[in-house]
Amino acid sequence: MKRLSTLALIAGAACLDFGVAGTALAAPSCDGAIQLGSVSTITGPVDFSDGPKGAKAVFDQINEAGGINGCKIEYTMADDKGDPQVAAQAARDLIDNKNVVALGGGASLLDCAVNAGTYKRNDVMSVQGVGVDPMCFNAPTIAPVNVGPYTLTTAMLDYASKELKDEKLCTFFIVLGGTQEAYAQAVKRWEEMSGKKIHLVDMTLPLQGDLTPYLIKARDAGCDAVLTNQVEPGVVQMINTADAQKIEGIDWVFLASGYTEGVAKALPNTKQPVYLGTEWEPYTETNEANADWMATMEKAGLPKTAFSQGGYLAAKVLADMIASMDGPVTRERLGAKLLEGKPMKYSIAGSEYVFGDAAKHAPMQATKVMALSEGKWVPKSSGWYVLPAAN
Amino acid sequence: MKHASIKAALRTAVWLAVLAAAAALFLPKYWLFLITAVFIVGVALQSLGIVTGRTGMISLCQMSFAGVGAWVTGYLNLYEVPGGLVVWVLLGGLAAVPVGIVIGLPALRLRGINLAIVTLGFAAAFDTILATITYPGQTTFTQVVRPALFESDKGYFLFIMLVYGLIAVALEFLSRSRLGASWLAVRHSERAAAAQGISIPMAKLSAFAISAFISGISGGLLAGYLGTLVAENFNMMQSLALFAVATMVGAHFTLGAIAGGLMITLFPELLRRIGLPQDVGNVFFALGAVQALSTGETISETWARLGSKLMPARLKGQKRSTATTTLAAPAVHAKGTALEVSGLTVRYANVVALDKVELSVPSRTVVGLIGPNGAGKSTTIDAITGFLPRYEGSVRLDGRPLEGLSATARARAGVRRSWQTTRIAPELRVGEYIRLAAGGIKPGEIEAVLEWFDCPSPETLIATVDAGTRRLIDVAGVVASRPPVLLLDEPAAGQSYAEALKLGERIAAIPEKFGSAVLLIEHDMDLVRRACSAITVFDFGRKIAHGAPDAVLGSVIVQKAYMGVELEEQAA
Amino acid sequence: MNSLLTSAVAGLSAGGAYAILGVCAIFNYRLVAVVNFTGAAIGAAGTFVMVALYEAGFPLAVDVVAGVAAGALAATLIGLVMTTWFAGSSASTKAAVTAALLVGIIAVGLRLTGGQHPHNFPEIVAGSAFRLAGVEVTRASVLTIAISVLFTVLTEMFLARTRMGLQLRALSQRPMAAELIGIRVKLLALCVWAVMGAVTSFALMVIAPLRSPDFMSISLLVVPALAAALIGAFTSFRAALVGGLMIGVIEGLASGLDAFSQYRGAIPFVVILAVLLWSQRGARWDEAR
Repeated sequence: MKRLSTLALIAGAACLDFGVAGTALAAPSCDGAIQLGSVSTITGPVDFSDGPKGAKAVFDQINEAGGINGCKIEYTMADDKGDPQVAAQAARDLIDNKNVVALGGGASLLDCAVNAGTYKRNDVMSVQGVGVDPMCFNAPTIAPVNVGPYTLTTAMLDYASKELKDEKLCTFFIVLGGTQEAYAQAVKRWEEMSGKKIHLVDMTLPLQGDLTPYLIKARDAGCDAVLTNQVEPGVVQMINTADAQKIEGIDWVFLASGYTEGVAKALPNTKQPVYLGTEWEPYTETNEANADWMATMEKAGLPKTAFSQGGYLAAKVLADMIASMDGPVTRERLGAKLLEGKPMKYSIAGSEYVFGDAAKHAPMQATKVMALSEGKWVPKSSGWYVLPAAN
Repeated sequence: MKHASIKAALRTAVWLAVLAAAAALFLPKYWLFLITAVFIVGVALQSLGIVTGRTGMISLCQMSFAGVGAWVTGYLNLYEVPGGLVVWVLLGGLAAVPVGIVIGLPALRLRGINLAIVTLGFAAAFDTILATITYPGQTTFTQVVRPALFESDKGYFLFIMLVYGLIAVALEFLSRSRLGASWLAVRHSERAAAAQGISIPMAKLSAFAISAFISGISGGLLAGYLGTLVAENFNMMQSLALFAVATMVGAHFTLGAIAGGLMITLFPELLRRIGLPQDVGNVFFALGAVQALSTGETISETWARLGSKLMPARLKGQKRSTATTTLAAPAVHAKGTALEVSGLTVRYANVVALDKVELSVPSRTVVGLIGPNGAGKSTTIDAITGFLPRYEGSVRLDGRPLEGLSATARARAGVRRSWQTTRIAPELRVGEYIRLAAGGIKPGEIEAVLEWFDCPSPETLIATVDAGTRRLIDVAGVVASRPPVLLLDEPAAGQSYAEALKLGERIAAIPEKFGSAVLLIEHDMDLVRRACSAITVFDFGRKIAHGAPDAVLGSVIVQKAYMGVELEEQAA
Repeated sequence: MNSLLTSAVAGLSAGGAYAILGVCAIFNYRLVAVVNFTGAAIGAAGTFVMVALYEAGFPLAVDVVAGVAAGALAATLIGLVMTTWFAGSSASTKAAVTAALLVGIIAVGLRLTGGQHPHNFPEIVAGSAFRLAGVEVTRASVLTIAISVLFTVLTEMFLARTRMGLQLRALSQRPMAAELIGIRVKLLALCVWAVMGAVTSFALMVIAPLRSPDFMSISLLVVPALAAALIGAFTSFRAALVGGLMIGVIEGLASGLDAFSQYRGAIPFVVILAVLLWSQRGARWDEAR
């Protein structure tokens, strides 16, 4: 930190010296286009392309308006196919060949887990659009703009206990590569925060396969609320199975991965109480907070999804960071700027975004809770549900 | 043979060294990084080549073995076990061996398709377990440490090339060894392999064990390459894709493994550059594999074929050396009755194929067994050599009963057979086959036996030899092993009349030259007359005559039973 | 003990799915001599055609018929590949072909169906049939089990009693000989493929709403399905039926026992291995080669 502030001081002094020249004062400069990029899962098991596309839309808009102080941005979207080998290649391509100054707006199943080491070695900062795997929240050079499943788990447990007044909280997790510890940590954080005990933790939910045995287990354990990290199709499957088993009296709590219109539409008739926490301002709501994002997406002709919010926000962060720079935009200088850790406030998110020089980053700690009602997601309240600062 | 192995291994080593030097000198950093992956995948492909390509067992869980190696490497790195990556990777490979053997165990009973299902089931099961275990050191940001000498990208590339070269050279030796030949034999025909005294369980388990070892090493190398790993590196889809690529390129060839590695690694790069979606790669691999399977020729084999067309001179150079070789002295076996079959009865459901037949072959003689089609001749051989699940009666070799012994054990005890249809793996060379059939034979002796039978030179590929000659090589193989008893099942089928007569003379000389007794099944009566000192005749599963050739062939009962059928056959 | 029964019953619905797919796999093997790794993927194709039409607003009956037809078509296409280029190949080669094809089909399927985005799967049969040990047994699972039983019985009768069944048996054992005595081999084989595709598609449509309905996970149902078929040694429809149900029940049991649930995914594999090693302990030279 000290070193950085010294750097800033020197930079400031330099500004003063050359300030006489006038126009170049506190503005970024570039030699050719500024290279940015991201690694996302676009083909393969999932399609997260809305994330990087959202980011690209922002950069396109900036370029159309003449760039950042005349600097155009070139944004490369790389696909990792959900395959670690391809992800590693894509990252090296961006760093070694494209010479990106930073990464941002990506949404991938495994980019962080595979490439966090590469990013650190090359001092490349990544403003992840949608961080999914635990390494996204556990690396010095990655700071996602989303809350992430782990913080959300803590937040939603807190919500279920405080707002829904549920006593026996049960959790069922699908555990994929390395998420076991992260989820256990998230549950522990809630227990420490609230002083309560979790009623049941099951880490064996299958990614594919019948859920009936698990729902029976939850029912027989007397759960008041069941929190799971199911992704879209799994949410539908879970609620359908609960209906088929005529289970009543359980609050079903999901994370942002279940927040799509597809899920709501696939469950038009259920009477089960279904809740989830969003990463940002609910994307299904047309309001002031979403206005700029919506306008950007409409202009680019992109569908409005939660993932595109992540890409949009990450791109905004990077663009604003670059705009606040002074002098040439290089990997080192942009990196240093991000590590300064200046808080940035955007209406679309509930927390201020901070990169900073911590060993790990999870700046976003606020969510909005949505409830399912007749095939639509409806906000439970207008305010943000904010977790107290992490310890 | 040794000489040939060393030559081939040297050639492989030199090629790889040249390749490594050129790449290290001329390629930019990013491409070096990519090429490193090519050879790591190449190691995994070679491991699959051993089980699937060489031994013919479909394995759909190869990446699971690699996962074991990778995770073990990760733990060793985390606990900073002394020795560094080289030791960790080796231990990782060794840790995969027991897993490979456990998966190989069902292969002893389940063949082909069943094994494919079991391995796919294992891959699925392993997925669910590996998915719950974070890669060791990932949360604490501990990267797998590369060896100090090979720290940089270029260094690690050279390290991988070194490992790849070592494995490729070792496999070159292995493929030309008796073990390697036994894998091919098992793939081509388990029965024929067992009849050569090859232990099928041994061959299969060793293939799985070595394959798992190499695959485990590839996992460890990948850990050093990427620093940290995720379960998706080793999931079922990866194993399936690896299988598709291995099928397409022919992963049991050094060239094929490299070509496959290039495809798996460079296809994503190519797709990225031409702006195509990444999933096109899998579709291409699937179609490529289907194409290769439909032509029955992998990409490496196509290249080899085209390559040999360009260099026809080399094929012609395989004439036998004119230096005369001499056969070793005949083996000395016990005197008396070599093979004694008594009261042999075989039933298939309600049909009695053999009914209390008697047969005896005195040592160092040739006995003919003749009879019309369906008389039970081949069934007799199957019973004697242990290929029937059950029979009544007894079979004795030099007075010792063979009951309770497996086909392999009987072959090792000294009852050897040839086959009606050729069952020699076409990928073998003639000399390799003889060495496989007669374990421990000396190189000079191989030449001598082949020359005595007028067979092609040891370096000739079986695939280039016609069917009649292959049967001769089959006979030469069992003869070269000099067992107490040889069972020859219609060796002259497919030979010209002149060749058959010549063969008859040679068979007649087998007891004298090699010390073995022969039971000869044959339809060619001139050959039988020439070769045999006694003849037994079967009809409808019963023994109807026995005695000196002329007396037996002249008897009415034999004429009626046997020649009647002969006439019919001619009419048909 | 009661909770054990509960978890076992809870596994029935998965077991029904494995059973029908396993029976289809044997059907495929006994009649056209192909161990088919793409079986479930073919069914998935049919199911997703049905969903696409449903989402486009066509009435359910039309969607189901079209989906079943699409499944039959997809199966016929694969059958065409198999009969055109691999009619004379060994069983292993054919299995390798379908395993390779599976890689490609999953890639294409995921692309066309948009990865894991959920689709609104209509319930073809809704509601629950009865309650057993505190578990609602859905009509869908009763129907899948019923279909597999019916399919088993019909196929067994068809093979044993009808002339066409006899021809089909001849076809799978000696295709060349069958051709010589005037059986239209290729046409018959394609019919078998089509029937298999249609039945699989329909069965998967019934169970899809309660599964995680994305293309890959449905396609990979082939693993337990082939395991069930293997329990039936690829000959006995009944054993496969029972085997499929058994795998489902064991999975259900495993998820009820906390000690095992961590390794729940591996348990069916261990069971299959045990069953196989026991049932095949005598077989040695089962292939004449």
